[in-house]
Amino acid sequence: MSIESSLHRRGFFQHMAGGLCGASLAWLLEREAAGIQHASPSAPPAFDLKPRSPHLPVRARAVIHLFMNGGPSQMDLFDPKPMLDQLHGTDRFQKFAGEIENLGSVGTIMRSPFKFAQHGQSGMWMSDALPHLAQHVDDIAMIRSMQTTNLTHEPAIYLMQTGKMGPGRPSFGSWVVYGLGSENQNLPAYVVLDDPLGLPVNGIENWQAGFLPPQFQGTRFRSNGSPVLNLRADVARSAVLEDLERGVLAGLDRAHQAQRPFQPRLGARISNSELAARMQLEATDALDLSQETAATLESYGLNGEKTESYGRRCLIARRLVERGVRFVQLYINGQIWDNHSGLESGLKQACARTDQPIAALLTDLKQRGLLDETLVIWSSEFGRLPIAQIGAGEDPRTAGRDHNKNAFCCWLAGAGVKKGVVHGATDDLGFAAVENVVTVPDWHATTLQLMGLNHEHLFVEMNGLRERMTGVSPARVVREILA
Amino acid sequence: MYTRLFLLVGVCIRWLVFLVLSAVVGGEAIGATPLGADAAAAAADVPQFERDILPLLEAKCFRCHGEDTRKAELDLRTVASMLQGGESGPAIVAGKPDDSPLYQMIHDGLMPPESTPDTRLSDLQVQLIHRWIERGAAEENRPSSKVERDDPAQSMSVHTVLPILLRNCTVCHGAHVREADLDLRTLAGMLKGGKSGAAIVPGDAENSLLVRRITVSEMPPLKQLIAFGVKPITPNELAAIRQWVDAGAPEGDWEPDIASTEPDPLVTDADRQFWAFQSPQVVAIPRVQGRAAIGNPIDAFVLQQLESHGLTFSPESDRATLMRRATFDLLGLPPSAEEVVAYLADTAPDAYERWIERLLASPRYGERWGRHWLDVVGYADSDGKREQDLFRQYGWRYRDYVVRAYNQDKSHDRFLLEQLAGDELAPYEPNTAVSPEVYDNLVATGFMRMAPDPTWAGPTNFVPDRLDVIADQMDILGSAVMGLTLKCARCHSHKFDPIPQRDYYRLTAVFKAAFDEYDWLKSNWEARLSKGIKSVRELPVALPHEVKDWQDRKTDREQKIAAAQSALETRKREAMAVQVERRLADKVPEELREAVRIMLRTPPDQRDRALQDLAARYEKELSITDKELAQSDMEFAQFEAASVTQTRAWEAEITSPPSIRGLWDRGDPSPTYMYRRGDYLTPGRIVGPGVPSVLTDGRTPFRVEPPHPGAKSTGRRLAFARWIVREDHPLTTRVYINRVWKHHFGSGLVRTLDNFGRAGAKPSHPELLDWLAREFMRGGRSTKHLHRLLVTSATYRQSSSVTPALAAKDPDNAYWSRMPMQRLSSDQLYDALLVVANRLVDRPGGRPDLVEVRNDGLSTPRAITGGWRRSLYVRQQRKIVATHFEVFDFPAMNPNCPERRDSTVALQALHLWNDALVQTLSDSFARELGRPAGTTARQQVALSIRSAYGREATEAELQAGARAIGQFADQWLAEHAADGLARDPQDTQQQAQQHALSLWCHALVNSAEFLYVD
Repeated sequence: MSIESSLHRRGFFQHMAGGLCGASLAWLLEREAAGIQHASPSAPPAFDLKPRSPHLPVRARAVIHLFMNGGPSQMDLFDPKPMLDQLHGTDRFQKFAGEIENLGSVGTIMRSPFKFAQHGQSGMWMSDALPHLAQHVDDIAMIRSMQTTNLTHEPAIYLMQTGKMGPGRPSFGSWVVYGLGSENQNLPAYVVLDDPLGLPVNGIENWQAGFLPPQFQGTRFRSNGSPVLNLRADVARSAVLEDLERGVLAGLDRAHQAQRPFQPRLGARISNSELAARMQLEATDALDLSQETAATLESYGLNGEKTESYGRRCLIARRLVERGVRFVQLYINGQIWDNHSGLESGLKQACARTDQPIAALLTDLKQRGLLDETLVIWSSEFGRLPIAQIGAGEDPRTAGRDHNKNAFCCWLAGAGVKKGVVHGATDDLGFAAVENVVTVPDWHATTLQLMGLNHEHLFVEMNGLRERMTGVSPARVVREILA
Repeated sequence: MYTRLFLLVGVCIRWLVFLVLSAVVGGEAIGATPLGADAAAAAADVPQFERDILPLLEAKCFRCHGEDTRKAELDLRTVASMLQGGESGPAIVAGKPDDSPLYQMIHDGLMPPESTPDTRLSDLQVQLIHRWIERGAAEENRPSSKVERDDPAQSMSVHTVLPILLRNCTVCHGAHVREADLDLRTLAGMLKGGKSGAAIVPGDAENSLLVRRITVSEMPPLKQLIAFGVKPITPNELAAIRQWVDAGAPEGDWEPDIASTEPDPLVTDADRQFWAFQSPQVVAIPRVQGRAAIGNPIDAFVLQQLESHGLTFSPESDRATLMRRATFDLLGLPPSAEEVVAYLADTAPDAYERWIERLLASPRYGERWGRHWLDVVGYADSDGKREQDLFRQYGWRYRDYVVRAYNQDKSHDRFLLEQLAGDELAPYEPNTAVSPEVYDNLVATGFMRMAPDPTWAGPTNFVPDRLDVIADQMDILGSAVMGLTLKCARCHSHKFDPIPQRDYYRLTAVFKAAFDEYDWLKSNWEARLSKGIKSVRELPVALPHEVKDWQDRKTDREQKIAAAQSALETRKREAMAVQVERRLADKVPEELREAVRIMLRTPPDQRDRALQDLAARYEKELSITDKELAQSDMEFAQFEAASVTQTRAWEAEITSPPSIRGLWDRGDPSPTYMYRRGDYLTPGRIVGPGVPSVLTDGRTPFRVEPPHPGAKSTGRRLAFARWIVREDHPLTTRVYINRVWKHHFGSGLVRTLDNFGRAGAKPSHPELLDWLAREFMRGGRSTKHLHRLLVTSATYRQSSSVTPALAAKDPDNAYWSRMPMQRLSSDQLYDALLVVANRLVDRPGGRPDLVEVRNDGLSTPRAITGGWRRSLYVRQQRKIVATHFEVFDFPAMNPNCPERRDSTVALQALHLWNDALVQTLSDSFARELGRPAGTTARQQVALSIRSAYGREATEAELQAGARAIGQFADQWLAEHAADGLARDPQDTQQQAQQHALSLWCHALVNSAEFLYVD
């Protein structure tokens, strides 16, 4: 089958030296170029981001990953726990001691300050912190039984992003574009929309390509000004002078190359300079929101002070997906979901910034028929504990919740995902997932499957080992949420 | 009804298929085994171990899991040994074939490994094993459940419970902290107990303090779990402790597994035959036809292969090209324009050799070659992994040590000895000044402290976090020094190489006295938070002048603080007296005032009755608080505030003593357990220190002795280091010279630099590799000697031009029929930009320079006075990488970089074209060209080409360059005509000229010839 062979060729020819710090693209280039050199020395190198057929029937063509780092509180947003109201104020320290990060500020069981209600045809529960998302419950599949293995942000985020609790491995987006390539050669295949207010925990390591070649790394797009770093000259130059200089440079490079036949890297370098020029046009166009209607801008909350920033990124995400970008990842600055104190006000603020834009994104994608081919993922690195986090003698209204690795929620919507379903369950307190537990590798396998990629067949061979996103951990595709 | 019919048909079909299969498979695949034709019949009833299973295993498995060889520590000869299992746990679970690794591995075709149709088990045989396990995995006359499990006490030892105590208790009741005088690391310690008595009463768990304290959750103290990196003891763990105490707390019969004179059952002599595990051989220099082309013996080896493929050497490079190549290779910098002129004018036959000597003598050489070493060891200036990305205050000392070692041409064996066991080479005392030699010894051990390390803070300082640090460090050791992917053996025996899991743990035992996951040193960060911490991960020793500077500064600041404090007190007393007088005047009748003054001066216990009465009446009213004093005397308040601010500043200048980031043996290590599947919660056998068996003859014990009489240190690492640098070591020298070769020739003789094992590449020129290894030894392991050999060879002097014939016959340059054209690395490029701009600040060593991050994410090294230092001295914060370095493939150290990648991506073009720093440096470059007054455009072009390309310009280039500069100037003038009128026309002309030159320079540094070396 040709679908199989096209990807397998990708999978198999890359016998990389394990020690290479990131695979050597040039090395790969040379390998490929060596093969074609005899036929046509000037043929362009074949290693690129051309679209590739997936292993499995395509469900999602693109992904929008809304990464909510910090650990949103599942029992205050998605997973109602009436038992907490009954047991409010009772002590559970002994039971949870080994699972608490901040042992200096352990409180008692804390009920949710939010009210839960059922919504839509599906009757999915959602708290009143998310009024806009609540209108979309019939489009999403909610997993309430996520579990991870570390209760500290950094390792937990590495695990969620790369499948391992440390830096150095390809991120989720890198694997996807490695497997599928891109449908737009003038834009990066994997675009990161980080918050202008600051980087998330683990910073740029969140979108690194690890041992995959660097073009599979996420490219940061700024949502204001010049989208890509160094896309425009840092020091203003006149256009005419710039063109003149370009002409001189081209002359130098032509003369250099003419004296050096059979050097594929010189050709690759020139074609990359051309790509840089094309990117300049297309990236600028993708970020030009003046092409949108006033109603669209309003719906994403671009006129609202709190929603403007995240709304802009959600809208840009749609525009990128429209243009064939494979993987768009949205971040939010700092740790807005990390409500160690002031849970109620903190969660309200975090929701106020993101709820309307996300709902608008879902509506917009649906109206344009894009939701059928786009997978929208909302996920975090862990959840929070059912007990309060509060210091002795402090005002109960300042109480927060500490990290919890044993239970958290993620939701998916769009291509290939069942609509309006809830998967898995936690115990009565919401402390731990107990039913249909979904591990991080399960989650990776499932999302890859939705992209048409089989997690066992997507690998890079290094030192004789097949390195996969799910590693050696057993991973199960959560078929229950697949349409 | 229909359903049932279908079922029936289905069953029938399945039977049919089964019968057909049985006939075919049985006839072909099983025929050779003793099972013979009875297979189908045997399959029908309960399989018998001796009749059905044993012969099968004997035929297929015993070669590796039998009497002589026990791969993965697994012996499949008896049911008992299968139940006991190997390094991954039991091989079978009676009654549960699908949970039994034996069945899984065979069923999935993973065993026998690399199986062919001949060695593979047939489907029927696989089914047979399935059924045998399903039916209870019985051995005849002996139900499996009872196998050698009769007396639990027999199989118990102190190591049944010790791992639990090590994980959860010994951090406070162990080697360094001994709360309540209790040491739980040994049975004797438990029996002796602490302040509250014996920790255990053998045979009586209920009355053992240890058990009682744990049972009531008093220990470990729940509130301090994170601070000490421990977890609550689980019910299972507690049950194990109880059981062991109740069984009489047996010490047990155990010895750590170490290499002995007995043949090693896990690694065979056949395993040792692989080329990389054999010592480098003596090889004869081959005879070749084109003898005239030979510069030195290297060329004979290379030419021999070229000739065998109908090739010969490419012509020699022109002199300028060769000079630029060698200069970038050895210094990482381009030759200056003046050097190019002088070199080209020097037509003596040995001009090149003398130039090489100059390069090797340059202090820039150590910076370049030190950088290569820093890559493989994973040097970084921060700890990584955590968001704070903690700065490594003393990291630079190791960087400077490496540079120094290369500049001194330290012999490679000494270099490794120092880095692996410098602390054991010569005695030293902490908290003192040490000699330069001892300083280098200790700083060198920073090699073993390079891994990303999150363990400086509680939540990421649990045993598994520490084990990850150790594993990364083993990975670095393996890939940098040994050319082996050792890390694979952390969880199971290596898949490709004969490295049993045991050998990984023996290696960690070598490092145990310094890297002990159960006795982990606290970080400086923690020490700052908690005053009680005495021993930290930085060793307080330094060179005499540093200690003196530090001591002088400390004494000076302490004196200043003391003086300031006494001045403040005096002022306060005076100010207070004034205020007291005011109140006296206000509140006390005049006639009593003198008596009250006396009362205030008299200490309370010396007051007589009358004074006491006065005190009762007036003392409270007259006492003035600090706040009242400050409010009523503004002048004093200001004085006090200034004094406090100044004192704090001085206090901040009293730093902790200058220290070293190193690794040192602390003696008395914990036992080393093998962790089943790498999981610290499933400790297995105890091993002692040792080296990979495949690299030894398998019959020689690993001898460890204290490094010097009376040493506290174990000597384990010193023994290891001495083994690593043995002349006959199969890997150490080969791995090192292969890297040196790679950095001159673009790729290694073994292309997988960090993997000489079976999954790595075979050497393209095995004899050359061995000849070089032995020649390296002969030259006293001098790296500079090796450089001389390599760069003066005819192989190195070849041109990099590719002809159609070369492209056809040697497309990958596998035979070195030419030199490869190479792109400058990120550091070479950065440094070259600084050189041509004349902005390189030559101030080697010391603390690294900061990287500034702009709001939009652009990160740039911050300028210092005069420009910038070499890339080597830019701070290498793991999470803040300067954009230039990131774009041009500077490696992320996770944990190290055995080989850099070299990509060609669009962002590189964008960066060079648009980046502000590149623009600034182009402007500087242009100013340098314009500096000699009255130079013509042609002369400037000539100079610029000499600087940027290291050669003389051609006539065509001179013309084109001058024309371009003229065009740039005209255009600039046209654009600035309006604002030019207001100024001096000559000045305007000059500005135009400068801008034009700057554009020319910018084009040059953007061009391929600047970026690539022929």
